[in-house]
Amino acid sequence: MKKTYAYIISLLVLLSTGDMMAQKPAAAAAEPPDTVVFPLAIRAGIDFAGPVIYLIDKNNLTAEGYLSADLNEKRSLYFGGGYANYKYSQYNYSYRTNGMFIRAGIDFNLLKPKTSMGNYWAGVGLHYGVSVFTYEIPELSQESYWGTTTTSVPSQSHWGHFAELTPGFRAQLFGNVSLGWSLSLRKMIYSGGSKDTRPIYIPGYGLSAKTFSAGINYFIVWNFRYKKINVIIKKEPPEEPDENVAPQTNSGSGNNQKMEP
Amino acid sequence: MRSFRNLIIASILAGSFLLAYSCTPGACFDEMTAFMKTSLYRDSTGILTAPDSLSLWGVGMDTNKIYDAKKSLKQAFLPLDDSSVKCKFTIMINGVYDTLTAWYSSYPHLISKECGYSFYHDLDSVHTTNYKIVKISITKNSITNLSEENIRIYY
Repeated sequence: MKKTYAYIISLLVLLSTGDMMAQKPAAAAAEPPDTVVFPLAIRAGIDFAGPVIYLIDKNNLTAEGYLSADLNEKRSLYFGGGYANYKYSQYNYSYRTNGMFIRAGIDFNLLKPKTSMGNYWAGVGLHYGVSVFTYEIPELSQESYWGTTTTSVPSQSHWGHFAELTPGFRAQLFGNVSLGWSLSLRKMIYSGGSKDTRPIYIPGYGLSAKTFSAGINYFIVWNFRYKKINVIIKKEPPEEPDENVAPQTNSGSGNNQKMEP
Repeated sequence: MRSFRNLIIASILAGSFLLAYSCTPGACFDEMTAFMKTSLYRDSTGILTAPDSLSLWGVGMDTNKIYDAKKSLKQAFLPLDDSSVKCKFTIMINGVYDTLTAWYSSYPHLISKECGYSFYHDLDSVHTTNYKIVKISITKNSITNLSEENIRIYY
């Protein structure tokens, strides 16, 4: 009988212990994960580099802006567009072009949500651009053995296509206003025009002679926050004590001191 | 505040990079004239051979010779008149005169932003008198600034 009681007690102890041990992970699972409240926003940005460049170089005007909408804390839909007017002339020809361009794609925020909090953005955008433009060569001349030949090429309309990678940075200036810049690294896909009189400059892309073009934009951005989401963030592991630092358990005596025999 | 300082520094760096990139001056190093490249072959052997002497000028341009008693010349570069559809040259091989006439069309071609436009030509036909020249043939009718033979003269 004693043995039976002993078995029952042992079983209860085991069960209770097992139950307690099982409760630990359950309690851990029940503990709510770390989250941050992340504001999603719709943004409207205007480039101010183009107008500033125009003040220096009256032959080159680009006015552009963009709208973007956060899908979540990492990704935003991007839609941009603008207008460009470019003139160039040198001793043997002059060239004019103007047109509109649009770009669409996705921007990726590489900052951690806890760092970004909707106020900072550092990341990269992947965009596809289309440009519709007209260009003309009002005058071109060439000197040869027979004399100088002068002619012109009338205005013609074309489409251009390009892809764009835009690493950049944006930070909140005050309130809903942010300031940012982005590099534009563009790859020409289709430049339009015939192979003989292909366009020199494509609005939204730049000089078309290069299969790659680069540019920079400085934006002033208005943020309109429309929603807040809870973003789960990774728990940071507890800091382990530095092995090089001696534990301060025994005050006064000093653990590193040699014990005299 | 530190973020703004970083932003400003990064912006200055990016701007400087772009400014340096965009302000690199361009220069024109390309050949701007699309010559009609004319190779000289000995008719008896069919081998590319320089005549003892070659003189060449445009008809009506006697005082402005393109080649004047040139020796060791296996390929002559004939400039076409961009504003005309026909060009006539007087060619003197080893002291004997012939007249070479070329019919063509011209069109502007963009070389580069730095160089501007040149005139390329599509050669329709060529004709020559046969005092020294035996025959003439077109090998490539597209006349560009590339180093490609356009016609052959057999003398």
